[in-house]
Amino acid sequence: MRALRSSILGAAALLLGAAAAASAQETLAIRGGTVHPVTGPSYVGTVVIQGGRIVAAGPNATVPAGARVIDATGLHVYPGLFDAGSQLGLTEIGQVAVTNDMRELGSFNPHLQARTAVHPASEHIPVTRANGITHTLSLPSGGGSGGFPGQGSAFHLAGWTIEEMDILPSAVMVMNWPTIRTRTFGFGFGFGFGGAGGERSFREAMEEYERAVHQLESWLDAARDYDRAVRGGARIPRDLRLEALARVTRGEMPVLARVETARDIRNVVEFAEKQGLKLIVAGAAEGYQVADLLAEKGIPVILGPTQALPLGTDRPYDERFTNPGKLHAAGVKIAFATFNSAYSRSLPYEAAQAIPFGLPREEALRAVTINAAEMLGIGDKLGSIEVGKIANLIVTDGDPLEITTQIRHLIINGQETDMRNRHLDLYEKYRSRPARTATE
Amino acid sequence: MSRSIMDLRPRSGRWGRGRTAAWLATAAATLALAAPAAAQEQPTWPTLPPNFAISGARIVPVSGPVIERGTIVVREGVIAAVGANVSVPADAWVIDGAGLTVYPGLIDAFTTLGHPERRGAQPAAGGPGGGFGAGGMAAASGRSHSWGPEDRPGTFTWRTAADGLDAGDDRITRWREAGFTTALSTLSEGIFPGQASLINLGDGRSRALVVEPYVAQRINLRDRSYSGYPGALLGSFAYIKQLYFDAQHYHQVWTAYERDPRGKTRPEYDPTLEPLRTPKPVLFPATDRKEIVRAIKTAGEMGVPVIIYGGQRAYEAVDVLSASRAPILIDLNWPKPNRDGDPEAEYDLATLRSWEHSPSTPAKLHQAGVRFAFYTGGLRTPSEARAAVRAAIEAGLPADAALRAMTLGAAEILGVANRMGSIEVGKIANLVIADGDLFAEGTKIRKVIVDGRPFDVFEPSSRTPARRVSAGEGQGARGGQGGEARQGDARTEDKAAPVAMAQDRGPYRDDPVTLIRNATILTVTNGVIEGGDVLIRNGKIAAVGRGLDAPRNATVVDAAGMYVTPGIIDAHSHIAADAINEGSVAVSAMTGMKDVIDPNAIAIYRALAGGVTTINLLHGSANPIGGRNAVLKLRWGADADGLIFEGAPEGIKFALGENTKRDRNPPRYPNSRMGVQDVIRQAFIEAQQYMKEWEDYEQRRRRDKNAIPPRRDLKLETLAQILRGERLVHAHSYRSDEILQLMRVAEEFGFRLATLQHVLEGYKVADEIAAHGAGASTFSDWWAYKVEAYDAIPYNAALMTERGVVVSINSDDAEEMRHLNQEAAKTMKWGGLSETEALKLVTLNPAIQLRIQDRVGSIEVGKDADLVVWKGHPLSMEGVPQKVYIDGKLYFDIELDRERQAAIRAEKEALMRKHLPGRGGDTRVVTEAAAGAVSDQEVER
Repeated sequence: MRALRSSILGAAALLLGAAAAASAQETLAIRGGTVHPVTGPSYVGTVVIQGGRIVAAGPNATVPAGARVIDATGLHVYPGLFDAGSQLGLTEIGQVAVTNDMRELGSFNPHLQARTAVHPASEHIPVTRANGITHTLSLPSGGGSGGFPGQGSAFHLAGWTIEEMDILPSAVMVMNWPTIRTRTFGFGFGFGFGGAGGERSFREAMEEYERAVHQLESWLDAARDYDRAVRGGARIPRDLRLEALARVTRGEMPVLARVETARDIRNVVEFAEKQGLKLIVAGAAEGYQVADLLAEKGIPVILGPTQALPLGTDRPYDERFTNPGKLHAAGVKIAFATFNSAYSRSLPYEAAQAIPFGLPREEALRAVTINAAEMLGIGDKLGSIEVGKIANLIVTDGDPLEITTQIRHLIINGQETDMRNRHLDLYEKYRSRPARTATE
Repeated sequence: MSRSIMDLRPRSGRWGRGRTAAWLATAAATLALAAPAAAQEQPTWPTLPPNFAISGARIVPVSGPVIERGTIVVREGVIAAVGANVSVPADAWVIDGAGLTVYPGLIDAFTTLGHPERRGAQPAAGGPGGGFGAGGMAAASGRSHSWGPEDRPGTFTWRTAADGLDAGDDRITRWREAGFTTALSTLSEGIFPGQASLINLGDGRSRALVVEPYVAQRINLRDRSYSGYPGALLGSFAYIKQLYFDAQHYHQVWTAYERDPRGKTRPEYDPTLEPLRTPKPVLFPATDRKEIVRAIKTAGEMGVPVIIYGGQRAYEAVDVLSASRAPILIDLNWPKPNRDGDPEAEYDLATLRSWEHSPSTPAKLHQAGVRFAFYTGGLRTPSEARAAVRAAIEAGLPADAALRAMTLGAAEILGVANRMGSIEVGKIANLVIADGDLFAEGTKIRKVIVDGRPFDVFEPSSRTPARRVSAGEGQGARGGQGGEARQGDARTEDKAAPVAMAQDRGPYRDDPVTLIRNATILTVTNGVIEGGDVLIRNGKIAAVGRGLDAPRNATVVDAAGMYVTPGIIDAHSHIAADAINEGSVAVSAMTGMKDVIDPNAIAIYRALAGGVTTINLLHGSANPIGGRNAVLKLRWGADADGLIFEGAPEGIKFALGENTKRDRNPPRYPNSRMGVQDVIRQAFIEAQQYMKEWEDYEQRRRRDKNAIPPRRDLKLETLAQILRGERLVHAHSYRSDEILQLMRVAEEFGFRLATLQHVLEGYKVADEIAAHGAGASTFSDWWAYKVEAYDAIPYNAALMTERGVVVSINSDDAEEMRHLNQEAAKTMKWGGLSETEALKLVTLNPAIQLRIQDRVGSIEVGKDADLVVWKGHPLSMEGVPQKVYIDGKLYFDIELDRERQAAIRAEKEALMRKHLPGRGGDTRVVTEAAAGAVSDQEVER
């Protein structure tokens, strides 16, 4: 039923559902802080939240009677940060296989949804939100080079159940894009043995690549045929995989492809154009090399990690640091992601790292708030401090992209949310351990 | 050695004539060994007499001047006469040498000829490269498993290539037809596959081919004939040294026993050590400068002469070879691009340079007086050898030096110059007769004479020179595909001057006196000085304060608006090493990171760009007791020894918990934290025993000058140093229980841990750590990657600091280390440390932990001038290093970096144009790189 409902009603119904879950909440007013709407100039003022939404915001917004007031004088109010690619909820301890749910067997699982396996009680979630990240796009992975490992789901980082947390269950279709690889494995350079070890011919590599691309094409073609048949009333057995892919071929769901090299980006862009897919490029370590292409085609990029090593030995040491600034300068819409779970709380630093290397500070902030929401088609509902938007907000004592900034209040889906987490609890517990003297 | 050229098989009766009875004993042995079942062979080539002369030929003796027209007389396999006026003896057959040139037979200085079990696979040319893959060493069927050096893994020192030589190896004919009369034959499997033997490439019985059975011990640094120890390059170095130390001890013990066995315990017989009692040179693999330095150093420690093999990138190491006087055998398979490579592949500078400069290696070595010889190595066929040498000649090697390297030079290195290598009376009649200059294009080899026996050279008429595109060779004449014009251009460029090497490493500046002015100076130990100056003189901090006068010769750096901190110290790093883990054994204390330092690792430069100046290079965490560490200063461009932080105390890695007790195949004790502790205690008990043996020996020696010392054991020697407090223990640990237990073990054995590394649950036992006196070096905020990291908290550093522990933040990672300043700042957020306390975590505190705080870690007069100039506060996301100094030398400069990047890019583009001329639209990749350069400028702040 759920699959059917979401496929028919799409995102809107679930967004309404999310709002309904918050309807019993109190009215909250954040008063006296410097408000950074992100979509407009900052001001000192008030933000009023009711029923999960921002109902008033401005220098002169009044606090309604009965509202609970958060005094933000001297503090700052920002939209909550959006980790636009994570594994939150899908893994607890990387090395313990049974705690991992981000990978399924097989390469073609377009019908699988990350939210199905999101563990709302994961310790990672409170740890992450304590650093100002209020929502995420959690992505399935796995499968081979070339395939659809499943759908990424966007959700709030607070809630008793995933249904309370849902933002967009089917936010993106993840596509594994095949890479042309001549190096199969390596012992470094070719010491003797008549050449480099682990090299295979380019022809072989191309053959494998083309086969993988053809396979992707076949699935998308089949999805179109299936969709046409179903809509034409043909009585064919239901195929969950093709049903899911049809949402992609109909252009309802963007495809997210994690590709790093310029060639892979060029190839996937060409593929998406040919297939008529709505593409989001993720990763894009060499995005700067094809910035003009991405800008021209209007393809957005979810970058990450920025705090990463250059892709080639002789590349500039700051290749990854300058990449976001170059893409932005070329006119590409960018967002940031950690593509991680335990590390998701470091999202702000992935963006901030690019600032001294050419990315304007305001854009870095948009890239962790509104931009990704826009990429997913929910920019009108999330990502900035504007009336009518979902109230995911943080109250801070400074720039949220700066390490030493403290998060003072966390409002997720309109509710002030607990900042407690496993780390804080352990800290307080052991900090209160009575001192032992050296003689003991 | 016996040099039998007699063969009594019926077909070769030709050799029997004139032989003396002196050979009969050998003959009898030969008969006894004759192959039983094969049909009697009948001659396939005409039989020539053993005495003959080559007359009227041009003779190039190598040992003397060229004889334009002369005669060589060969008698009984030996050169009987040479000269312009030599008369042909009456009993000699005459070969007309008119129009021909006679050279000494060529020597292939490193092969596996005669051991065709490896047919098709050429001997591994030099190059230890990286370590083994971690998972590659599981016990495979049929391989023995080694649990330590005592198992003598892959050690076949007693074998010689001369034994079991297969004269039927059909490669011998091909080699001979390419002009080779002699080859060094080596066995190839094993760390010590056996002794290399020099053989002549005739067609007699195998033992008739042997010229010298014991030339050298071959060493392989990677081998898969066994599983287990050594499983990585780290262990390989430790093992080969240990084996030679063992041999020296073995020799002492046996010599004493042989002198007077009475009253002495009979020593064990060890076949692996027996041949090493009279050590021969070792053949040591090494391709580039880094490896050549290692080879020379290691052989020095082993106490044996070294012959290096590989050597293609020896153009990087001419000075090293020249200083050491070590000879080198050069693989003629000059590196070149893969024909069917990825057309968009980006090759790194080192690879591109090897295409360009490898053929110039011989010329450079020749100029420096380094002894070298050639081997066919990775060449597809030996017939390519002369073309490869021609490439070396085109790259500047004088033709006579090339010839010498293939003849007399090789004979000298291999110790047989008294017998061969030149055309001299009395030498073995190994000759090559060619129809022109040996290295000229189109010259054909007509005859090859081996041990006085002439062989005709068969050359099929259809054979076209099988040549691959290579540096210096240009394109084949046929061309014809698209882009011919480009190829033509490329050919012209080929012959043109070599592409100059950009300066891609080394300090940007080395000023005797530098004054950094007007900066905010975070001294760490003496507060913050606004608008302050730091004076650097001769690598040290000479003055710190406000308004310092600039000495006349000072280079003045205006740092207004900027910050200056001490260089960052990373107390846990694995960069700049070719191997990390010797995980095959529970105690790998015999290994040391200093053996495997990789000074070429680009991570060094990248870390510099993040403000890091010193690192603690540690062994991995696969063993309760791991290998020895190396404290390095990131002097980018220095050799391994130049990176070492001189005077820094030695250390060692320990490890506890999951990594050490994890399931392995075959199972390895320990498998629980109980066993981990036990392994450590047992090891120290063993070490105490070892110390006692040495103390007893010292006592004995006072009475008896000839007392024999105990066997030197690299593992126990290292452990003894810990017990004597001479070696710092850096212990990888996670859980509070294991932290506590290790401290108690250390206390039991009377030493103190220098640092607990990672120590993610250190906050739970902070008081105990403080009481023990260990430092704690932890991550800023990593957690949950494994069970023992699930209680990790970002407050760890702050909480331990509060409880009086000396804490540092480390990276354990080539990327994270580039922003340790940010990681330190996180402790201000999580736990509320002050700015100074936070900065200490990556400067003074790691210095204290490594016991180098009198040299580095703060900005104080007298300390090393290891400094970072930052734009933006270093404890914020805005802090970016602008200049990084080590010992007062400028190793990173954000502006000069751009220039260096451009120079590297330009060199790479030139090399790609030259060596990948056929690359369709190859400019595209280059254009992208260039586009990057333009954007770099745009982003400049």
